[in-house]
Amino acid sequence: MTQTHYHELPDEQDASDRFRDSLAARELHSSRAAASIVAAVLVAGACLFVLLEALLKAIGQRAWLVDPRDAAAWVHQLPGSVPPLILGTAGLLILLAGLLFLLKALLPGRLHRHAIPARRGIVVVDDEVIASSLARRARTAANVSREQVLVAVSRNLVEVQLRPTSGTPVDEALIQGVVEDELLRTRIEPMPQVRVQVSSSGVVGQ
Amino acid sequence: MNQTPRGLNRLLLAVIGLVLLATGVLALGLAAFPGLAGWWRRTTQGAGTAVENLLAATTLPGQRDSWLWIVLALLMLLVVLAMITWIAQQGKGRAGTLAADDVDDGGPGMVSLSGAAAEQALKAALAEREDILHVTVATYEYRGTPGLKVRVLPRKGVAPQDLAEDISAQVEALDLVLGRRIPVVVSIGASARSRLGRGDRVH
Repeated sequence: MTQTHYHELPDEQDASDRFRDSLAARELHSSRAAASIVAAVLVAGACLFVLLEALLKAIGQRAWLVDPRDAAAWVHQLPGSVPPLILGTAGLLILLAGLLFLLKALLPGRLHRHAIPARRGIVVVDDEVIASSLARRARTAANVSREQVLVAVSRNLVEVQLRPTSGTPVDEALIQGVVEDELLRTRIEPMPQVRVQVSSSGVVGQ
Repeated sequence: MNQTPRGLNRLLLAVIGLVLLATGVLALGLAAFPGLAGWWRRTTQGAGTAVENLLAATTLPGQRDSWLWIVLALLMLLVVLAMITWIAQQGKGRAGTLAADDVDDGGPGMVSLSGAAAEQALKAALAEREDILHVTVATYEYRGTPGLKVRVLPRKGVAPQDLAEDISAQVEALDLVLGRRIPVVVSIGASARSRLGRGDRVH
C-alpha cells in the first residue's frame, strides 16, 4: 500500500509539471488561429468553386465560369496563354503567400511576453507592461517627465533611451542600476541585458 | 489555455504553404525560362491523355459524362466540411463547470460548481483595485481539466511582479473558498486605455 503510494506520487508531480509547462508555453507562443482561419477560408472557397463546376458537369449542364476542359487546355498552353509579365507577377504573389503560410507554420511564433514566477498559478506579462514599469523607475530616478524616457523590452534586451532636462545632468550608471534592480525584482527568465542611452542634447522646458 | 489544435494548425498551414509555394515557383519558372515550356507541354500532355482515358473508361454507356465528376464533387464537399470543422476548432474550450464531485459515495445527487462562481468572485476582488483598469475571468478546459484564465489590464507603470503577487494571494483565497486548487493562468497586458491614460497615481 505504502509502496504504491510512493510510486504514484512522483508520477503525479511530473504530470502536473508537464501540464504547467505546456500551459505556460501556450501562453507564450502564438496559436496561429488567425492564419489558420484565413487559410481555411481560401481553401474552402477554391473547393466550393470546383464543387460547383463538377456538379454542373455531372448533371450535364453548361459550365458556370470556366469549363474544366478549357481550364486544363489553358494550363497546358501556359507560357503562351498569358503575357509573361502577368504570369511572373502572379507566380511571385502566390510564392510569397505560400512562404508567408509556411513561415507562420515553421517559426516558433513567440509572443512579446515574459513569464514571471508566481506563488500560485502561471503568470505571463506583456513586454509593454514590463517596459512601462521600468520607465517609471527610470523616470523617478532621473527626475524627468514621462515623455523623456523610452523603454523597449524584447526577449533578451532592454533598451532605455533617456533625454535629460537641459542643465540637469543625469548619471547613466545610476539609471542602469535602477533599471537592473527593477528588472531583477520582476524575476523574469532569462534575464535580459540592459542598455541605457542618455542622449547628449537636453530638453528645454520640462 | 484553450483547445485550439496548435499542432494541427501548424501542420495544415505548412501543407497549404508548400502547395502555394510550389505553384508560385512553377508559374515564375514558366514565365522566366522559356526553355521550360517544352517540358511543361510534354508533362501536361501526358497527364491530360491519362485523365481523358480515365474519364472515357468511367463513362457509363448512354451517359454523356463520367461519374468521376460526382466523386470529385463529393470530395470537394468533404474538403469544405473539413475546413469548416477546422475553423470551428479555433479558440474552443470554454467550459461552464469548474468542478464536479464525481465521487460516487452512494448518496443521491451530485455537486457541481459553475465556473461563473469563481469568475465573479475573482473579478469582483480584482476590480476594486485602483491600479487595474480591466479584468476578464473565463473558465476554459484544457486536456480535460477545467481552469481559470485571468486577463488583467493594469494602469501604466504598475510593477507586474507586485500585481502578480497580489493576484496570487486572491487566487489562494479562492482556493480556500472552493476547497480545491484549480489551474490558473494570469495574463497581464497593456490596452489602448492604459497606453493613453494617465499613468501616475499616488497610492
